[in-house]
Amino acid sequence: MPVALSYRRHLGWGVTLAAFAFGLVWVVFLADRPAHSDPTAFFSTLLDAITQGALYFVVASGFTLVFGLMRVVNMAHGSLYLVAAYVAIDVQRRIITGNPDTTVSSTQVSVINWFVVLLVAALVAGLLGLVMQQAFLRWNQGQDLRQALITIAISVIVADQVVVHTGGGVAEDMSFPGRINQFVDLHVKGFSYSGARLFILGLALFIGLALWLWLKRTRTGMVIRAGVDDRAMVAALGVNIQRVFAIAFFVGSMLAGIGAVIGTSQTAVSNGTDGIWLLNSLVVVIIGGMGSLAGAAVGSMLYGLIGTFSAAYLPAGNTQYAVIFTFVLLAIVLAVRPYGIFGRPA
Amino acid sequence: MSDVRAIERTIAAVALALAALAPVLFSTYTVDQLLTQVLIFGIVAMSLIFLASYGGMVSLAQTALFGIAGFVFGNMTTVDTKGLTLGYSPWAGIIPAILIATAIGLVFGGLASRSTGIYFLMITLTYGVIANLSFGQIERISGFGGISGIVPPSIIGTTDQHPHRLYYLALVIAVLLYALVRFVIRTNFGLSLQGVRDEPVRMSSLGYGIALHRTLAFTFGAFMASIAGVLFVWWNGHVDPQTIGLGATLNVLIIAVIGGLRRIEGAFVGALAFVFINDRLAETDFSVAGFKLGTFNSLIGLIFLAIVLVSPDGLLGIWERAMTLLKQRQPAAAAAAGD
Amino acid sequence: MNLSRLRKLKYALPLAVVVMALTATATTAKPTAAGTPIKIAILSDCKGAFAAFYGADVGGAIQAFVEQTGAKVKDKSNPIKGMTGGTISGHPIKLVGIGCSNDSADLAISETKRLMEKLGADILIGPLSGDESIAVAKYAKAHPKKTFVNGTAGALDTTMIVRAPNFFRWNGDGAQWDAGTGWVAYNVLGWRKVNVIMDDYSFGWTSAAGFIAEFCALGGEVTKRVFPPLNTTDYSQYVAQLDPPNATDGYFWAVGGTGTLSSLKAFEQKYGNMNSKQHMGNLFFGTPGTFTELGLRIAGSYAGGGGTAADVPSAALDKFKALTAKTWSALPPLKGPATATGVGNLFFVNYYVNATGLIKGLKAVKGDISGGQKALQKKLATTTVTDPNGYTLKLDSNRQGIADTFVQQLFDNNGTLGIKTIYKVVGVPQSFGGVFAPNKPPPGETVPACVKGNVPWKVTKVG
Repeated sequence: MPVALSYRRHLGWGVTLAAFAFGLVWVVFLADRPAHSDPTAFFSTLLDAITQGALYFVVASGFTLVFGLMRVVNMAHGSLYLVAAYVAIDVQRRIITGNPDTTVSSTQVSVINWFVVLLVAALVAGLLGLVMQQAFLRWNQGQDLRQALITIAISVIVADQVVVHTGGGVAEDMSFPGRINQFVDLHVKGFSYSGARLFILGLALFIGLALWLWLKRTRTGMVIRAGVDDRAMVAALGVNIQRVFAIAFFVGSMLAGIGAVIGTSQTAVSNGTDGIWLLNSLVVVIIGGMGSLAGAAVGSMLYGLIGTFSAAYLPAGNTQYAVIFTFVLLAIVLAVRPYGIFGRPA
Repeated sequence: MSDVRAIERTIAAVALALAALAPVLFSTYTVDQLLTQVLIFGIVAMSLIFLASYGGMVSLAQTALFGIAGFVFGNMTTVDTKGLTLGYSPWAGIIPAILIATAIGLVFGGLASRSTGIYFLMITLTYGVIANLSFGQIERISGFGGISGIVPPSIIGTTDQHPHRLYYLALVIAVLLYALVRFVIRTNFGLSLQGVRDEPVRMSSLGYGIALHRTLAFTFGAFMASIAGVLFVWWNGHVDPQTIGLGATLNVLIIAVIGGLRRIEGAFVGALAFVFINDRLAETDFSVAGFKLGTFNSLIGLIFLAIVLVSPDGLLGIWERAMTLLKQRQPAAAAAAGD
Repeated sequence: MNLSRLRKLKYALPLAVVVMALTATATTAKPTAAGTPIKIAILSDCKGAFAAFYGADVGGAIQAFVEQTGAKVKDKSNPIKGMTGGTISGHPIKLVGIGCSNDSADLAISETKRLMEKLGADILIGPLSGDESIAVAKYAKAHPKKTFVNGTAGALDTTMIVRAPNFFRWNGDGAQWDAGTGWVAYNVLGWRKVNVIMDDYSFGWTSAAGFIAEFCALGGEVTKRVFPPLNTTDYSQYVAQLDPPNATDGYFWAVGGTGTLSSLKAFEQKYGNMNSKQHMGNLFFGTPGTFTELGLRIAGSYAGGGGTAADVPSAALDKFKALTAKTWSALPPLKGPATATGVGNLFFVNYYVNATGLIKGLKAVKGDISGGQKALQKKLATTTVTDPNGYTLKLDSNRQGIADTFVQQLFDNNGTLGIKTIYKVVGVPQSFGGVFAPNKPPPGETVPACVKGNVPWKVTKVG
């Protein structure tokens, strides 16, 4: 048995390293615009990947927090993103133009404005999540499948309600503040990069740090970490576990709202966006491991890197296969570490 | 309990008789469109329930596997449409479709076999969405528009050429697959699978391969879903990425849960309810005084939520509880009457 | 006893004669007095990327019946409620159902089956989107005894490749709608090298093909083609594949639905603020209700049309505006009065145009759809329709309309984005003068190739 096990593990790591090495060689030497001859494009793609991963992290960290502590696969996480996005668009328009139907351009948005909208959307998302948890998930703790089905039902209803009340699938968006939506000179070979994307990276780093400090340095954070490890023991120790759950769900849902504001300023939102962000959160958590903040960070980065580099460096006319690479990444992770890179069995 | 079983067996016999006589009793649309759909989606839901009930694995990848079989068939047998357009005869497409979808099921199952419970659900959902995205983005095998103009073998024909033939085929296959599942769960494999579901640690220490059992069960589920997939493209003539989108995946789950996740029969009960409600309400405008309350999706979501909250074992669970209640009253009545 | 019975008999005989006479006249009178109803169904999208136009689609079709058959709408502010009345040569028109699809062929087929088989419609008006129409046209081919007219779908394959003898489309396809854009790019903007970015599915390819065929025929060169997949949210890698603004003359965008905004934003994040003189889009740049989202940075760029223009004055347009104002007050979910959201909206106009063609054909055969609707289908093939801009649409041998279209330009209308029509193109055949043909591959990632050739139509300035 031990021989077979280590053989399989070595094979798994071997395959992973080989895949990574091949990918590196391809990007640097063999692609249409290889990195050694066009380092600017490579650097730009790398930054794109990291900033995209940063956005994934913001949303997925909320998902993994809830999943890790309460074993709730919150299939309505994408729905929270969706609702928060539409609320944020409405609030930004009302603040700046007074009219919820007039679009807003970056030049009209100040940094304060944008953060106010962020706060409002985050609170809305947090409250919705909290209400959902208190009404539907509080009394059936431990029944994982049932809770997943409940959140699925809620996501179906919310998605339909959004379709009905936002007048169809037309995409709508928000704007970043004008001050950051410019090019920033990075002082490296005269390379300029989008300030907005760097802003996203900065926000994500700040949020990651804040979450880390909260989990590591505060009492509530300590209880949450203990709860991720051993829920029953924490309850047996007399901690008000219900209060901790409520706080964690609130924070997790808030993160979906924060991600929604960033994502909608970056691109747009429409009726299918909830499904897309649910998938993104799932992929990050499967790769990184449930309940682990570090896992969410690593998972987001890997997902961002794979998605961005495959779209950029596959031969022209074959970029349609980029989605297969995401699956390959998932397959490798599942084969080598079935519970995710930083995950542990329940 | 045997009384309940006897009652259920009678109901099943009546239902089967009605199904066999359906073309005489109901309109062509009901038989060829609605009931055939009930059978096809019932088979897919049955594969999900088999895995959930006897394997302890709730898989959201069944719809994807069902679609993969359909796409393979479509790619192999069509000519002037999107996809590979290999142009083989419909007979030649059946085996590759089932084989490839089952093989992909083997890979999916193998990768996910060491994960359990909710984690397994997440992974299989991801499979489903990635399959949807793959077929949507890779032009060579489908693209957004999908593959249309798919025809069944001429002996079956379309519903215009030979009405009801596909319906009867689907009925026969559904009954056979149901019997197959009932058989499998009584074999050694089926019994040890249920052991793996209940006590994985103990089974492992007894020398049973947990991952192997789960993988094989998943493959069997994929096999059933792939058969439904071939029937589907014969019925629909068309398959596109939306057929295996998030909505379609959740619909199959909803069918299984509404019917009852614990019993195989629930698949067809759930499919019957879903297809007929969907058809009846397709054009209903759920508005109150001009305020739009939602569409069919909100309604089915609410029904789904209600069932999960009130009766997690679905309609069959409600039936069982009703039977139990009746039985509890009967001895009291008999005792009273006896006195 | 016997006598009284005999006496009764003498009344019986004349009575019997009268009854027999009445019966005889009644049976012969049936076909002419009460005409068999003509059952119509409308199919559109109420979910998905184009759900916003549900009311406009259905409203456009019903408006034709109101104008030409005496039908009445049930609710002026909600087209989905349907219509009543309406007759053609004594045959009452019955709207048996309104289908709701979601931009996917799968649901379109199931709705078509429900409308045609369960609700027993004789004729279908629809669908909305390109891929749906290919599937519906194939269904039509398999059901020759029913008639199908298009809604507003713009895929080329529907009529040129599938060629169902009972599917009729008076409106142009996506390529025809972009006629004139290549000319403007070459002659007005002076572009010689262009990057084209298009959605990676049939409508994206068809729409871009219209631009590419014309631009290349005039002598221009398409140096790059980029195809972001349909559900892309992060367009950064796709705009990265484009040439930077200093290495090309212009960009043609055929990215639509939910991607128009995201892709333009991604472009600006990669290359800085847009110079609108370097950008041109297809109809997605100009669709009412959506283009205002693009913001003022795009003011000045040209946009391909959809075969209709609300600001090119003509008697026909005035008549259409008045008709719309009389028939509808609003076309929800679009917000605003129907005259603003409907007139000039290709969704509304195309459903109207195709329904008009249908009604004209029905009138020509006096509403007789017996005999597998053969007479109707024969008549429809030669029916012409005058569109709201006064242009007469004729069908070619594939039952596809020879279209007119417009090229529009976005401009800064006191702080919001406005659009005005600048150029008009008439007589655009689906074949683009030979570029597209049934035996040639349909538009795709590399089709059409960039070759010089003839442009068989004239682009004229409007007004």
